[in-house]
Amino acid sequence: MLTNTDNKSKNSLSSWWSSGEPWIWLNAAAVGISITAVVGLLLLIAIKGFAHFWPADVTQISYTQLTAQGPVSQEVYGEIVEQDSLPLQQYLESGGDSAVLTANQEQITRWLIKTGNRRINPPDFRWVVENQIQNRSTPDGLTVIERLEWGNAYGRLVRLTRSSGETIEGAGVWDALQEDFERAEGVRSQIEELEQGVLNTLNYELESLRLDKRRAELDNRPDRIPEIDAEVANIRAEYAVEEARLRELYRALEGDSLTLATATNEELVVPLSDILRSWQPNNMSTLGKLGHYSTSVWRFLTDDPREANTEGGIFPAIFGTVLMVLLMSLLVTPFGVIAALYLREYAKQGPMVRLIRIAVNNLAGVPSIVYGVFGLGFFVYFLGGNLDQLFFAESLPAPTFGTPGLVWASLTLALLTVPVVIVSTEEGLTRIPRSLREGSLALGATKAETLFRVVLPMASPSILTGVILAVARAAGEVAPLMLVGVVKLAPTLPLDGNFPYLHLERKFMHLGFHIYDVGFQSPNVEAARPLVYATALLLVIIIIVLNLTAITLRGRLERRYRGVES
Amino acid sequence: MGDSWELEPLSKTRGLTNRMTEWVVGLGGGAVILSIALIFFYLLWVVAPIFVPASIDAPSRMALTEQPSVLVDISENGDALFRVAANGHLEFYDAANGTPLATFSIDQPITEARRVYPNVDLYSVRDDNNGLWFPQTRYVVNFAGDVRTLTPKLEFPFGAKPIPLPRGTTVYDTQFADGTLTIAALHTSGQTTGTTVRLTQYKGVEPGYPLRQPKQVDIPLARSYAYSWLGPRAQWLYLLDTDGEVQVIGTSSIAAPQSYLSANVLPTGTTMTAAKPLLGRYSLAVADSDGGIGQWVLLRDDNGYHLTGVRRFDIDEPAQSIIVEPRRKGFATLDDSGRLKVLYPTSQRVVAELQTGLKPGAVAAISPRSDYLVAESSSGVVDSFKIHNEHPEISLATLWAKIWYEGYPEPVYSWQSSSADNDFEPKFSLTPLAFGTLKAAFYALLFAVPIAIMGAIYSAYFMAPSMRALVKPGIEIMAALPTVILGFIGGLWLAPIIEAHLSSVLSVFFVLPTCLFAFALVWWYLPERFTKPFSGWYGLLVIPLILGSVYASFSFGPMFEDAFFGGDSRLWFRDVMGLDFDQRNALVVGLIMGLAVIPTIFSIAEDAIYGVPRHLSNGSLALGATPWQTLVRVVLLTASPGIFSAVMIGMGRAVGETMIVLMATGNTPLMNFNIFEGMRTFAANIAVELPESEVGSSHYRILFLAALVLFMITFAFNTVAEIVRQRLRARYGSL
Repeated sequence: MLTNTDNKSKNSLSSWWSSGEPWIWLNAAAVGISITAVVGLLLLIAIKGFAHFWPADVTQISYTQLTAQGPVSQEVYGEIVEQDSLPLQQYLESGGDSAVLTANQEQITRWLIKTGNRRINPPDFRWVVENQIQNRSTPDGLTVIERLEWGNAYGRLVRLTRSSGETIEGAGVWDALQEDFERAEGVRSQIEELEQGVLNTLNYELESLRLDKRRAELDNRPDRIPEIDAEVANIRAEYAVEEARLRELYRALEGDSLTLATATNEELVVPLSDILRSWQPNNMSTLGKLGHYSTSVWRFLTDDPREANTEGGIFPAIFGTVLMVLLMSLLVTPFGVIAALYLREYAKQGPMVRLIRIAVNNLAGVPSIVYGVFGLGFFVYFLGGNLDQLFFAESLPAPTFGTPGLVWASLTLALLTVPVVIVSTEEGLTRIPRSLREGSLALGATKAETLFRVVLPMASPSILTGVILAVARAAGEVAPLMLVGVVKLAPTLPLDGNFPYLHLERKFMHLGFHIYDVGFQSPNVEAARPLVYATALLLVIIIIVLNLTAITLRGRLERRYRGVES
Repeated sequence: MGDSWELEPLSKTRGLTNRMTEWVVGLGGGAVILSIALIFFYLLWVVAPIFVPASIDAPSRMALTEQPSVLVDISENGDALFRVAANGHLEFYDAANGTPLATFSIDQPITEARRVYPNVDLYSVRDDNNGLWFPQTRYVVNFAGDVRTLTPKLEFPFGAKPIPLPRGTTVYDTQFADGTLTIAALHTSGQTTGTTVRLTQYKGVEPGYPLRQPKQVDIPLARSYAYSWLGPRAQWLYLLDTDGEVQVIGTSSIAAPQSYLSANVLPTGTTMTAAKPLLGRYSLAVADSDGGIGQWVLLRDDNGYHLTGVRRFDIDEPAQSIIVEPRRKGFATLDDSGRLKVLYPTSQRVVAELQTGLKPGAVAAISPRSDYLVAESSSGVVDSFKIHNEHPEISLATLWAKIWYEGYPEPVYSWQSSSADNDFEPKFSLTPLAFGTLKAAFYALLFAVPIAIMGAIYSAYFMAPSMRALVKPGIEIMAALPTVILGFIGGLWLAPIIEAHLSSVLSVFFVLPTCLFAFALVWWYLPERFTKPFSGWYGLLVIPLILGSVYASFSFGPMFEDAFFGGDSRLWFRDVMGLDFDQRNALVVGLIMGLAVIPTIFSIAEDAIYGVPRHLSNGSLALGATPWQTLVRVVLLTASPGIFSAVMIGMGRAVGETMIVLMATGNTPLMNFNIFEGMRTFAANIAVELPESEVGSSHYRILFLAALVLFMITFAFNTVAEIVRQRLRARYGSL
């Protein structure tokens, strides 16, 4: 740190200029801008991401809409999502109507209102200019229904109709709804268990039997076919039984329905089986809202996505990311460490090794998409294609490994991150004082023993740092994955109860790709945006935590060796 | 020297472990390093075929039944030979050895036969009674006991009877696409001076069902023509005579044909030796007696239709016949000496040639996959040439230079890799992609380099150590931020803001420095006892100032807009400056990718500046220089190689960044430097197109080439940077 200690002649502007003080401020501003950008970006993601789960009040808004027939009074329930103010010119250019404005109004304030009820009252998001609004209130008793399809519904509770013919109206509807809902939830979880469990397994077995049969045909073993056919018939029968049970359960869900009234007193009937969740935000206490909030977060983390990924949770994406990264670290750790050991401990130090070291260093700077291209060409088409020819001929022409999948994604990312592990491990190895190695050798240990008992334990924190950095990089990488295995919606997780449990050839979902896909490829970006912020927040948290761990470890390592060296 | 030490021999297991470890580490380490090298070689291996010159193998000769051929063709897979003999026999042979497979007959001598454009298995065969037959070939493949047998079949999808051509027909052309069968026949019946062209069109044709009543029109012509060809989807008709006179007649409405143009396509003083329309039928290849072949394309502009000569091949010997590829725009020529040349228009080159014994007018055809050429060398003897010509459309010129494509009024740089049409001419110019890549990197560095380097200067030289301990890891964490998140913020948050508040955003660039210098001046006049404790904390002090000036800019933005941009900055830029505005543009990419690059540059530059030996700056200060003078004249000068390498590495990162560009731009391959429009970069292009590209196709290999180019560019940048850094480190050591 240096300071201006010379005597400034305060009165002269030119001395201010020549002292360099303005330039120092300019440099300081650069730091300031960087800090502001980092903190601002993180805050933006955090605020938008966390806000997504808060149960916002439902507002009743009446406004006049100008139509060809003249002004029409509109009445809606909805959540205010965004407020925006823009200059007159732009408002007009974007197709805004000047008739709603007051004279000489320069700045237009408008609100984005999520009105839900997508089917009976589209669009489900609408901009309303402040001037149009006549009345705005948050009356008690407005209910939000999260539906399986068609997004949220907003309205007043009118009646609950049970399949028995019984109807409940008035004040008791809410409590009855909760009661019935609980029952429906129970049935639904049974259905899910059945579909995800037994039926899924049976399906899987049928498919593998079909392949067995094909294999038998290919191997010219017609004797095996009757046996397989018999088994198929068995499973089919079992399947039919379970399917009947499933139909029974579905029937139990039918018949119950909830009737809501919209702001314009239209009736909206929601079958109980379509209701995922209901709440009355205007009646909730802060504590109640907090409870709702934490449930929302939990559901977000553990549920499957719905409605083309724009609603529901992101569990498969979390699962896919974690599994892919785990596989990758299993691959990258041994190879990275061995390569580093070779370069530092075994290879003869010389210009060749120096060259390799530079090359390895530089690979960390090669664009990730290049690794993706290599992965697609070499792993997927070349290796995978040949594996299919050799071992999975029965399912050809449908590829098994000759198509992007989990194992290829992990391998590609392992290749992408191996320089990180090598560099970090090497750094750790160089820090180990020579004297320690020599001490061990002098006591009669072999080179291998020195390596395992002295060198590796001492280098372990730096190896760990490298692996963590590699994991952090892999978790955030998207571009190569788009080529080698990620899909927008995977029907099954790559890990399940069917043998061989871990399905390396399956495609998977990924947090980063989820952000790209939902944010940019989804039909209803407006509805999906809060979810993307929440996903981004989760990814940022994971990566920052991983990086902080690595930085802390590195700090500890430095302190530790300061002790050894002295 | 009483006792002597004796080393016990190493126990077997210990020795073995020792050696095993050495092997495993050596093998593993070598494998990892090799696999890294494999990336480069694999990319090269995939790319290489596009630069391997095409070749034609020596022919395999087959003696068929002794009859002159009217047509020879080879099946899609290249395993069956189809021949129409002059005596009315339609024969199939095994293409490997000439064994007859099947023979059909129409019991009429045949005068002429050819493919029905654009089909490869449907033929029109004209008998000497002027009847037109439409045989279609089918091949049924059977595997019985691991032996592959091929059974050829012949069908007549338009009925077992011939369609009569007008009396006195000299030439005809047929086209069958989208259920419409069109026949154009030049005939002399009923005319004394010139010829007449008769168009017959059957609509709603279902193969296997009887044809409906056709629409028919006779168009009298002022002169006679030697060739007539139907244009794309029978929209127009080319008429061409041997003196080079061309007439094009619009036939989109059969009932009301209109003359589009008349022109001459031969250089003066030459005669025409051969001519053929190329696939798509947008262009004609016309060979002349000077040994040139002109490509003439029908173009339409405000003044109507023109036949434009877009390029001219010079092949020394005049081409006596032209044989076109049925699924590509390429063609082959034969000259008097029997030399066979394969040419390709887009890349404007002779891709392969071979001396053959073929006569100039020999009956010949190129297979659907353009991998075989079959030709009759003498009556009943057919030569089959294997052609290795996978990527004729690629040359250095088509990758990097301006190319005159069909349908364009002038040569352009264009990247357009695929389209719904089969007869589409792919445009594989890498120039717009390279330009886009540089544009994105340029704007990102324009923003990132000053901020990162100035930030590094402040952080390394002026900042309080306690603040530096926090700032440095903070900025480094930014480097780990996934770019997909930055891209998302750029595309969905920043881009709409910039679009809505363009003038406010632009005014930040003026308001912020102004406020900063004003504040710095005020600070200068504040009493020293007040300012002194803050001397290392300027970086924190300016944050409220930055936020304040951003807020001020957004508050006064509309006023700024009224004052300078006439109320709407986007309109102003469009009308006054001629700059179009896209929502996702280079400004967004510059800012967001700048954020991604800042930490990289900052971190390396900071290390370089911080590492300048203290005694250098102390010496300078002791000689009376101010800290600023010391910094500029001593420290920066010493650290400049490190800063250079920081910029190089930042550039490498900006060049290869994928997700940000993909999400924050419109990904259109533009060729302008307008900051308010987008671009398409190599990386984004690969990410978008590679998953859909067919393995082994030219498109696939070019995308690999793009990856290889990216690899080599970044590798070169990084190597230069690394070497500079190592030398710098050595110099610091010696200082």
